[in-house]
Amino acid sequence: MSLQSSFIQIFISHIKREFLINFRSLVDVISTISFMILIVILFILGIGPFEEKLRLISNAIFWLGLILAIIPSLEKTLQRDYDNGWLDQTITSPTPMEIILLSKSLAYWLLVIIPLVISLPLFIVLLNINLKLIPWLLISILVGGLSISLIGIIGSALTLGAKRGNILLPILIIPLIIPILIFGVGISEAVIINESPIGNLFLLIGFTLIYLVISPFISAFLVRIAISR
Amino acid sequence: MLYLTDIIINRGSKIVFNNLSAKIENSKVTIISGKNGVGKSTLLRAIAGMIPLEKGIVKNFNNEIFKDKIKWGKNLIYIDTKNGLSQDLTVYENLKTWSEMKGWGTSDDDLQKALDSVDMLNHKNLYVSQCSEGLKKRAALSRLYLSFLFDVKFWLLDEPTNELDKKSIILFNKLIKKFLENKGTVLLACHELKLFDFSYELLNLDLLKK
Repeated sequence: MSLQSSFIQIFISHIKREFLINFRSLVDVISTISFMILIVILFILGIGPFEEKLRLISNAIFWLGLILAIIPSLEKTLQRDYDNGWLDQTITSPTPMEIILLSKSLAYWLLVIIPLVISLPLFIVLLNINLKLIPWLLISILVGGLSISLIGIIGSALTLGAKRGNILLPILIIPLIIPILIFGVGISEAVIINESPIGNLFLLIGFTLIYLVISPFISAFLVRIAISR
Repeated sequence: MLYLTDIIINRGSKIVFNNLSAKIENSKVTIISGKNGVGKSTLLRAIAGMIPLEKGIVKNFNNEIFKDKIKWGKNLIYIDTKNGLSQDLTVYENLKTWSEMKGWGTSDDDLQKALDSVDMLNHKNLYVSQCSEGLKKRAALSRLYLSFLFDVKFWLLDEPTNELDKKSIILFNKLIKKFLENKGTVLLACHELKLFDFSYELLNLDLLKK
């Protein structure tokens, strides 16, 4: 008889599983980041060759690109496991659903954030981002990205089994992302005008902590409802 | 012994079970039978804890099973027609991640044996997306072997024999017999009763619902 593993080990094994699945179908990992690059390029082409204009809105473009690129991939995070019956297996396991869903959102966060950090130099060149902004931008996408994936898992759970889930999901989660957008852009704006971005950063962290606490419970509740249907 | 007492289950506005009571004996196989749509799967899913009971209780001896979901989750294996296999992983990886999810520290050797018990060792590196339905079912049933290593006392199986060929059904019968020797209880929803060569109790929902 082997030992029962602790919740932390189960948590880590879930993250490993998500990585294994996502790196198998590498398209999923690459598609989000390449979609974001394309959105940013479209914005730049739409503005035209005016550096002045770009400088004013480059932060907004960056964040909008991130949010718009993440949304299409959110639906799949739970839907796939719902369809193949994996969620049925997890609900009949000793591990609480909350832990499983938290590990799922953390795995999703890493899968979005790692390619984004790698391709950050590209965005810096494309959007002509001020070099002193880079550390702040890095922190804000790390924190903001976590928020977005925590919210995303709620949306994904909410639309499980819904027929038009892919249309419903953005409508449901974009209102929740608004604070992240405001404070994320706020950090960069504050740095540009040589003010302290700490206030905005703390608000961003605050929102992320709120989502970190409520997201596993809400999404586990929603998944249980979806399974019981 | 599982006691189901005055169970009411609704799905949407439809009442599936109204005051159903039944008794499922320990260390035996109970086959839930009944016509299509009578609620065999619903009953299994309810006992597994996926569908909430509107009213009524399910007791394992004197313990209400849904009061301690962690304990109940350790105590059961549920396999239905959806199998719960990820398309992007191999048969072996699926079994490994599944046993990790259950919280079991299985060794490579255990997993090999489990796959061998349903004759899947040759296919262990096959991606599930490439498997036929029968192979998928066998990959799912390989989990049953792990319950001999860990303290699992209940199997809830929803139509486990649907896609299996003759040879796999013999292996499946073997697994069940071994589980009965280990004092396990099997709850099985199935139509074809003549496939099994062990003795079983019959829980006929057609009769019970009258």
